[in-house]
Amino acid sequence: MSRALLIQLARLGDLVQSLPVLTALQSAQPERPLDLLCPSPLVALGELFPCVDRVYPWNGEQWHGLATTKTTDCDQRLAQATRYLADCAFPPYSLAYNLNNHPRGMLAAHVLSDLVVGPGEHGPMNQRLPAWAGYLRQIAQDRGSNRVHLADAFCGLCQVLPPSDIPYLKAPELELPFELEWMVRGQPPTLIGIVLGAGDADRRVPLSVWQDLIAACAEHIPQSYLLLIGGEGEREAALALEHRLSAKYLNRVVNGCGRTSLPQLVAILNRCQWVVGSDTGPLHLGAMCGARAIGWYFSRARVHETGPYGVGHYVWQRDQGRSPESLDAHNVRTGGSSSAHWPVMETVNLMREEQMNSTTDEWDLWTSNRDEWGAFYTRDGKSDEAVLRRKDTWEALSQLANPTFQMEVSR
Amino acid sequence: MTVLKQNVGILRQLNQVFAAQILQAPGGALSIQPAKSGMPTALFNSRYLHSAYDPVREAERWAEERIKDCQAGETLVVLGVGLLYHVQALREMLPHDQIMMVVVPDLSEFADCVSVRSLEGWGERVMWLTGSMTDMAVQVTQKAKRVRILSYEPAATVHHDTYEHFRLQLRDHLAQQLSGALHIMVVGPIYGGSLPIARYVVNALEGLGHRVSWVDHSPHYAGYKNLDTIRDHRLRLTVQQRMSETLAVITLAHVAEDPPDLVLALSQAPLTMAVLEQMRRKKVLTAMWFVENFRHLTYWQQMVSGYDFWFVMQQAACLDAFRKAGAKQVSYLPLAAEPDIHQPMTFTQEERHEFGADVSFLGAGYRNRRQILPSLVGQGWTFKLWGNEWDNPGPLAPVLQRGGARIDTPTTVKIFNATSVNINLHSYTGDGFDPEGDGVNPRTFELASCGAFQVVDARTLLPALFDESMMAVINSPDQLLPTVKTYLHDPARRVAMAGLSRKHVLEAHTYGHRMKTFLGAVGMASPDRLGAILQGDRQAESLVARSEQSPELIPMLKQFPQGDRVELVDVAKSIRKKGPEARLNREELLILMMDEYRQEKRDFL
Repeated sequence: MSRALLIQLARLGDLVQSLPVLTALQSAQPERPLDLLCPSPLVALGELFPCVDRVYPWNGEQWHGLATTKTTDCDQRLAQATRYLADCAFPPYSLAYNLNNHPRGMLAAHVLSDLVVGPGEHGPMNQRLPAWAGYLRQIAQDRGSNRVHLADAFCGLCQVLPPSDIPYLKAPELELPFELEWMVRGQPPTLIGIVLGAGDADRRVPLSVWQDLIAACAEHIPQSYLLLIGGEGEREAALALEHRLSAKYLNRVVNGCGRTSLPQLVAILNRCQWVVGSDTGPLHLGAMCGARAIGWYFSRARVHETGPYGVGHYVWQRDQGRSPESLDAHNVRTGGSSSAHWPVMETVNLMREEQMNSTTDEWDLWTSNRDEWGAFYTRDGKSDEAVLRRKDTWEALSQLANPTFQMEVSR
Repeated sequence: MTVLKQNVGILRQLNQVFAAQILQAPGGALSIQPAKSGMPTALFNSRYLHSAYDPVREAERWAEERIKDCQAGETLVVLGVGLLYHVQALREMLPHDQIMMVVVPDLSEFADCVSVRSLEGWGERVMWLTGSMTDMAVQVTQKAKRVRILSYEPAATVHHDTYEHFRLQLRDHLAQQLSGALHIMVVGPIYGGSLPIARYVVNALEGLGHRVSWVDHSPHYAGYKNLDTIRDHRLRLTVQQRMSETLAVITLAHVAEDPPDLVLALSQAPLTMAVLEQMRRKKVLTAMWFVENFRHLTYWQQMVSGYDFWFVMQQAACLDAFRKAGAKQVSYLPLAAEPDIHQPMTFTQEERHEFGADVSFLGAGYRNRRQILPSLVGQGWTFKLWGNEWDNPGPLAPVLQRGGARIDTPTTVKIFNATSVNINLHSYTGDGFDPEGDGVNPRTFELASCGAFQVVDARTLLPALFDESMMAVINSPDQLLPTVKTYLHDPARRVAMAGLSRKHVLEAHTYGHRMKTFLGAVGMASPDRLGAILQGDRQAESLVARSEQSPELIPMLKQFPQGDRVELVDVAKSIRKKGPEARLNREELLILMMDEYRQEKRDFL
């Protein structure tokens, strides 16, 4: 039986945002095995995706080593690259879906399959983009009033409609570090994940703000417990945050930064009622694990492109004309310590399900929704013109799709 | 049959003359004793050459460590004989077809060894090198292109000087065979005496066919100089330091954009330890040619571990000092001349009037010069003093030219050529001649290259570079005046000597010669990287011949001229030229994929 491969070589957040397209592809052709190619460190997460048959690692470090080792010539490099692919034991693919608009994704797609859908579908060196990829690039550059979510645009890129059901990641059965096990199994009434870090420095929330949020949660949400989420890179920041917290809140906080694998994080997020953070991979992962996400979107993050996928999520979108206060090297705000500019209490009120205003001086509150054209966000529960235009966008871009591939997809 | 007879039989199969020499060698160089393990061990002058407990295990550990670096196709040359446990261990770990040679500097030592240790089963697969150091170097280079030297220190130390001589011979012979082109990044200083040398080095390397990227920091001089307007001394030093650090990061950016095979820095190049460490992490080899007196400028002590290779213009004490301070590789590389710049010339009437003199000195006003040069004033000849840093010149005031302005290189050449007797006094901050004077200054080579006559103060390293038929050498300040008088009245002798000195520069002391030596040394020290490239391993014809692992590559490689160096980036470029509609085979896709990763720079700075 022919197999298909979906290629997603970007970071955690993009991989999580690829779950809807994987789900849609699998339900479009349930009999066809669908594999995933993703960065090596994310393979363990990919293996939890229910719609994926096999997950193959793409080891960027190893490729970089092959390309830059000083002692090898072209001949040896090529032999080593061939050996690398042989060791991966890829099966033959009749079709590769490439979600990455960069040469590595395009080349990988052509190495592994003769037929490619997505960037590179006109040839490995052909810069002509398919309609949906061109649309995404234009959005990234112009930041227009689009409302097609990135995860749904991935579906368009692969020529399927968004999945009929929102995909969720189930908790795997595995052991957790003792302290985390105690917190998760103890079934606290409200478990809130706090996503400390972000891949890009300009998306990091200052520690003083997290400090205020934790204090506010502890004071206003009875029996709430807070879990600090992050990778190795956030260990230091998490320790610093713990030092800043008043002793009376410490028994309500557990530091999970750098202490979990991705499957363990999925297990924990499955037990969280809420997850709060900026536009980061763990925030999206939390949403896919069933937690309700509250995003603080600033810098270049835009709710309509990358808001947490699904329903029941919130995003505080900072006024695009403003940028948050600058951070120093230790992730601490340099301009005073007031949290007045961050929607701290507003976020706590959301978690308390209280009525509140949907705007502050600097932040707008958006709520997630979903229909047949995918996920979208509204303010005050009202769909505006831009939301309605998504249907037109889908229809227009789908007509521009390459008929060869449409045929292949339908087959 | 005794062990010796059996061994001689084995050696006879390899080299009859060598076998006969062993039989005639007196022996007795080594003292043989049983080790605790029961195997024989050896002492030389009461020092153990092998373990007193288990020489076999010790040798295996030595070989296991060395073999990690050895690459297929390299010829291994072992220094250090002793009882050859290390040679046997290494031979038995190597592939059967890998060539291994052992330098035998002392037949008696070898005879002692083969009297107690059998060569059977491994000694037949070793090339035993004997004879003069030159003969041995020739034998190596006739058989091998890529040479890796492995030194078994306990036994090699016994013949340290001999092996050093062998290394130099081998380096020079290998340098003659270089055919491949490196990409070398030359990093110059912001200003100072090493700046023109950096230019000469760039020209010389380009002249040898290498691709050179020159990171020229001299355009930043005006800004750097402008910092002198900061009056507070500590503040000024801090800002100057910061500026140097920024220039170091700029250098790193150049390295990231177009990674070279080797970075060659000249003294005073603004490279910091942090930047050098980053280059090391990125696998960029670095070398420094320290063209300063190591006793006067001592900042090298803080930088010594930063560079992979050091080249210095002094020997013995200097080499020892660098090694003790932690230099991984340090070699003697004297200065030289650039004959395209420093050459004989003719003058206009005006030029002869301005620059001509019976006697001249060009240089900065160091203490010893201020003390010695006044003796040349008022002697009935014309004496001109050129150069800067002559504040308060005292009795030299009447002869100081251009008010003590700095003299540029073209003017320097005119002064040298227009002077009958050029005085060349090496700088010294004390009185008289530097009692530790060893290194030879660039002026010596430049005067010679101009075909200009010079009187120079004695330096311990001078006789190995020029002899006294080429220049007048004085051993003390009081010899200066009579020597000048003698030669001033003997123009024919002056012309003959200067002619010989110029001829000798052209034969042996240009920057081209120095760069050949330099490349021979770095190639020998890094056989799998620089050595392989220098020997032409990355040239198209060589790659085609060795493409048995990936025959699909051959058509791509055949597009390049045979002698061109071909790297991943070149093959990738040729693939991209096929255009956006091209269909690519798997190998072409993989080449492009690797080229994408090659361009990754995100963590360079």
